[in-house]
Amino acid sequence: MSDTSLKLEAQESSWSKGARDAILKKFALGDTIFRRMTFSAAIFVLLLLGAIIGSLIYGAAPALSKFGFGFLTTERWSVGQEIFGALSPIYGTLMTSLIAMLIAVPVGIGIAIFLTELCPMSLRRPIGVAIELLAGIPSIIYGIWGFFVLAPFLKDHVMPWLVNTFESVPILNSIFEGPGYSSSLLTAGLILAIMVLPFITAISRDVFSTVPPVLKEAAFGIGCTTWEVVRNVVIPYTRVGVVGGVMLGLGRALGETMAVTFVIGNSHRISASLLNPATTISATIANEFQEASGMYTSALLALGLLLFVITFTVLAAARIMLARLARNAGA
Amino acid sequence: MTDMTLNPGASTAAVPGAGLPEKISVRGLKFYYGDNLALKTINLPLYSHKVTAFIGPSGCGKSTLLRVLNRMYDLYPKQRAEGEVLLDGQNILAPGQDINMLRARVGMVFQKPTPFPMTIYDNIAFGIKLYEDLSKSELDGRVEKALRGAALWEEVKDKLGASGLSLSGGQQQRLCIARTVAIKPEVILFDEPCSALDPLSTAKIEELIDELKEHYTIAIVTHNMQQAARVSEYTAFMYLGELVEFNLTTSVFTAPAKKQTQDYITGRFG
Repeated sequence: MSDTSLKLEAQESSWSKGARDAILKKFALGDTIFRRMTFSAAIFVLLLLGAIIGSLIYGAAPALSKFGFGFLTTERWSVGQEIFGALSPIYGTLMTSLIAMLIAVPVGIGIAIFLTELCPMSLRRPIGVAIELLAGIPSIIYGIWGFFVLAPFLKDHVMPWLVNTFESVPILNSIFEGPGYSSSLLTAGLILAIMVLPFITAISRDVFSTVPPVLKEAAFGIGCTTWEVVRNVVIPYTRVGVVGGVMLGLGRALGETMAVTFVIGNSHRISASLLNPATTISATIANEFQEASGMYTSALLALGLLLFVITFTVLAAARIMLARLARNAGA
Repeated sequence: MTDMTLNPGASTAAVPGAGLPEKISVRGLKFYYGDNLALKTINLPLYSHKVTAFIGPSGCGKSTLLRVLNRMYDLYPKQRAEGEVLLDGQNILAPGQDINMLRARVGMVFQKPTPFPMTIYDNIAFGIKLYEDLSKSELDGRVEKALRGAALWEEVKDKLGASGLSLSGGQQQRLCIARTVAIKPEVILFDEPCSALDPLSTAKIEELIDELKEHYTIAIVTHNMQQAARVSEYTAFMYLGELVEFNLTTSVFTAPAKKQTQDYITGRFG
């Protein structure tokens, strides 16, 4: 009985040998096609990136060769006399992002800590979903809300209070100075803070929940309070992820265009006060590209190249920082 | 010690260890995971400066019982305990108990090594600094003492600045023991401390437990019958959330009172 079944099996496998080879060949062919396709998709991205950089450099070349390094250090932006300096947009871009990060990082991480460590189970999902929805709001909506609601509110209520409060405090009184405009660096920074908050929160929450429960138990087990556990175990354990989330937020803040264009005031002037109108790189480009021609266009393209370089530098700095952190942790 | 006679599940012919001071007394303890009753009225003493082993098949509730003793279950909203657990006569399950202080008095070593993501030195110093404000040199002394106490000092004294995660599994576990010892607890709970370790590291940790009992009251959960026999003076056999037998380890292993116990330790089930 068992002998016959063995023979049968042997026969079957010898019958199918030729057919099996054909099938394997077909698989191999499919595999090759698949590999080529994915490979060319990857190459295509690289080519695209190269093409964008190339055309930016090509378009920016006239302005850069005319103004040279002075392009970065000149505040003046005069369309009539064809004098273009990028200092004011650079300043505005960095300042609005700085304000946004100063607000969004602590608040975002705080929300994430609350959601993962303290929040009652029944509230976790609703709050989490609300934050994810916040990330899904199109930036134009932040823009009109910022322009029609937030900016007037700041101008009428917050700015006078800031000016009065810090009137006699050195340094702070020049940061918060003047009549206060509804469109200002501060307004743009606040809008950006609200916009990047969900990114930082969502990523921090996700990485916080990767901390092994037993590690937290160990810390609670030597008598740590929740704060001590978060401060000494959760954040050190997840810092790479948290820094990643912050950098993603920063990347978005640096490049955000629409909402900022609404509320920044588009003024090529640098002033110490956060309550004055200013401009950012992306807002300048968005506002002015339609009227531009010749050298003007080239200057705008040079601004674009600059933004590209800044964003790239931030991402590279983040990578280096993460690599160093990972080395120090010795893990 | 009359309460031992109230224990319906344990071997009550002679009260084991009667007259010894009880560091922890578990009385009528019930424990729930949600609606699921995981411990069914446990009564049990942990004698001062003795090692008590908890044995029993997986899911019998021994780790659960251990996690009640320092209220680790508190971290999880759906878990709750009823009854009394007295630590030096004070009910730790009572509301208003300072949980952080409790956990400092009742330390815990886990199944898997759990070094914190910081240097070896800081792994020890961190816990100490929570409770005491020491000078650098005093702190250094305490760290060294704790590492020596966990038989780890010779191996790590030249690399205290290295990450705790860079150590081997056995070293990490001893680091965790050192960390627990460093904050001067009164009771140490070991939850299968050797299950992730090789035999050599296991031997070191067993030796260590033997030395530690001079200063601490120890409870150890283990799946390794020989380990229970080697390290403990008292053994509790648990099955399906009940305490089947509690007695001197020698009695449990040589002349168990209950058939279930005998079946388990001779490998007939579990």
